[in-house]
Amino acid sequence: MADPHVIETVDLCKRYGTTDAVRGLTLQVPAGSIYGFLGRNGAGKTTTIKMLFGMTRPTSGAVRVFGLAADESHSSVEIRRRAAFVSEDKDLYDHMTVEEMIRFTAAFFPRWRRDLEERYLRAFDLPAGRKVKALSRGMRTKLALLVTLARGAELLVLDEPTSGLDPAMTEEVLQALVQHVAGGDTTVFFSSHQIAEVDQIADRVAIIDRGRAIVAGALDDLRERYRRVQIVFDGSAPDVTFRSPGVERIERNGRVLSVLSSGGAERVVEEARALGPVAVDVLPVTLKEIFLESVVTES
Amino acid sequence: MLFRPNPSLGVPIYLQLMEQVKHAIETGALRPGEQLPGIRPLAEELVINPNTVAKAYRELEHEGVIELRHGAGAFVSAAGRAKKGTDTLRAAQTIVAAAVERLHARGVTDEEIRRLFEAELAGLTKAAVPAGARNAKEKEGHRG
Amino acid sequence: MLWYKFWLDTRWRFLIGLLLLGGSAFTIVLAYPRIMQLMPMVPQADTGGELGRRIREAAELSRDYRGYIWSQWFRQQPTQLGTLFAVLLGTGGLVSSAGGGGLFTLSLPVSRHRLVAIRAATGLAELLAIAVVSSLVIPMVSPAVGHTYSVGSAIVHALCWFVAGAVFLSLALLLSTVFSDVWRPLLLTCAIAFALACFDFVFRDVNHYSVFHVMSGETYFRTGALPWFGLFASAAIAAAALYGAAVNFSARDF
Repeated sequence: MADPHVIETVDLCKRYGTTDAVRGLTLQVPAGSIYGFLGRNGAGKTTTIKMLFGMTRPTSGAVRVFGLAADESHSSVEIRRRAAFVSEDKDLYDHMTVEEMIRFTAAFFPRWRRDLEERYLRAFDLPAGRKVKALSRGMRTKLALLVTLARGAELLVLDEPTSGLDPAMTEEVLQALVQHVAGGDTTVFFSSHQIAEVDQIADRVAIIDRGRAIVAGALDDLRERYRRVQIVFDGSAPDVTFRSPGVERIERNGRVLSVLSSGGAERVVEEARALGPVAVDVLPVTLKEIFLESVVTES
Repeated sequence: MLFRPNPSLGVPIYLQLMEQVKHAIETGALRPGEQLPGIRPLAEELVINPNTVAKAYRELEHEGVIELRHGAGAFVSAAGRAKKGTDTLRAAQTIVAAAVERLHARGVTDEEIRRLFEAELAGLTKAAVPAGARNAKEKEGHRG
Repeated sequence: MLWYKFWLDTRWRFLIGLLLLGGSAFTIVLAYPRIMQLMPMVPQADTGGELGRRIREAAELSRDYRGYIWSQWFRQQPTQLGTLFAVLLGTGGLVSSAGGGGLFTLSLPVSRHRLVAIRAATGLAELLAIAVVSSLVIPMVSPAVGHTYSVGSAIVHALCWFVAGAVFLSLALLLSTVFSDVWRPLLLTCAIAFALACFDFVFRDVNHYSVFHVMSGETYFRTGALPWFGLFASAAIAAAALYGAAVNFSARDF
């Protein structure tokens, strides 16, 4: 029976000494999606990803990939046969050449795609005989991506894939990811604190802060639900609470009341109009604003 | 590149794409019966999620703007529907031009006009209106 | 392919060790005629204490070629330089190697036990190669100074060296799974080796049981019998350390 969710965590927790890196994280990643995992530095993104690959063991909670328990050693090996990981530092073997790195990785995966290897080698323009330690950051990322994409994995997990890359290189990386998903049967899960790239290619998103998912869902859904209602008054803005559900945050600034609503903004507008304002504006909210507001509210 | 959605607007990319396709049809950049770019090549070219392109195409087909022919690709609908859209839009353009002129006469600035329209549309569309129509209206409000 | 990766990581240590130990075997053999010329000059009863006793013993042994080889080489090199390289071959390479790639290795579809096993096997194979090759230099070069040294003896000494050296290699590997840097396992293991050597030096009566006693093949040299107990004990300790390394590595969070 195929699990519809490629990744699933239930109340996942990880404690290091006295610090809680992950505090009850629950999320589901459906197959075939490009899932953006947003969060500030130190929010718990990397720790979560490491738990998916059995590099770190959870303190409590469940974490499943392809329906298999990621914290059990045998299933973890099976998971790593079918899922690929690119670390934030684009971890590779410095002393090997590009060619050796590729051959080394290929040896572990019977489903290695020679055609993809050759395609990306050409497209990325990687020098086969150069040692990994002599590669620039961009080339390193591309090599890490190549050995990840060519292995025929069902799931790609990338930790900050475009960090430190210039815009042109970033676009190339995103393009390679999009191409790969367009081919079908692959799910991409990537962590980032670059909102723009999540906006661009993700169809589902989770915002993690202090080890917990505070916003999660389809990106388009978020874009359609979240609204900012800006209410201008003649005199000083009243200190009101709104009875409508979905009110995330209310800001009073002189004569202006700014309400962030995560759904049902029309009811907020109704309540607002009852207060006798000078003007009521309903504005779309960008993912960046959702992120900043959600993360600030938590503290 | 005919289409250029902006991912950072806070407006779903698929809605932007839909609107841009319709605009292309209006201006004649895309003619009735002409083939649109495939879902996969378009996603790769724009570097956006293929699911997004697929969704936009599906909604456009639902509205009758394009036809999805199995195995062949996406094609702009034959004359009838598209033309009607163009006529309606021309009439709408006239109405909007007149309204803007009148508001200008009252000393209302462009920015204010824009916000008034957006607020009005948000207020209207958030009432119980079926998804397809609502999204179409919304896209008109967020254009530009 | 993991063998290849671990080989790349330890390649230089291996080659340098091979060169140094092989080279010193070569030198020791060729120095024999010269040493023999100097023999009469060794003072008979002047230096007292442990050091004096050792010097006299060395001189005594060196009258015979086989004794010379044992006291000047098999008792020195494996236990000193050889131990150092055993430690070096067991250090790092799993996740904390200088070449990076720790997380990459952990993301491969290989169990942690297997990683430790292959790493250990690579190091042990290299240690065996160093021991055997450099020991075989002696029977090969001896004819050049007009003596013979049995290949069998060289092999036996090499094996004793290997098994006892494996203790230090495994210990270094075990400590590498405890500490995340390269230096602490290396220095700690060397410190342990050094402490054991000092202990041997001070307590002569019990050094019969020391690992260095096994390493130099003293029992074999003096009596022609293999130090079975010492060999089994060393093998057992090495195996236990490797098992500990596997368990430790599997349980660690990265």
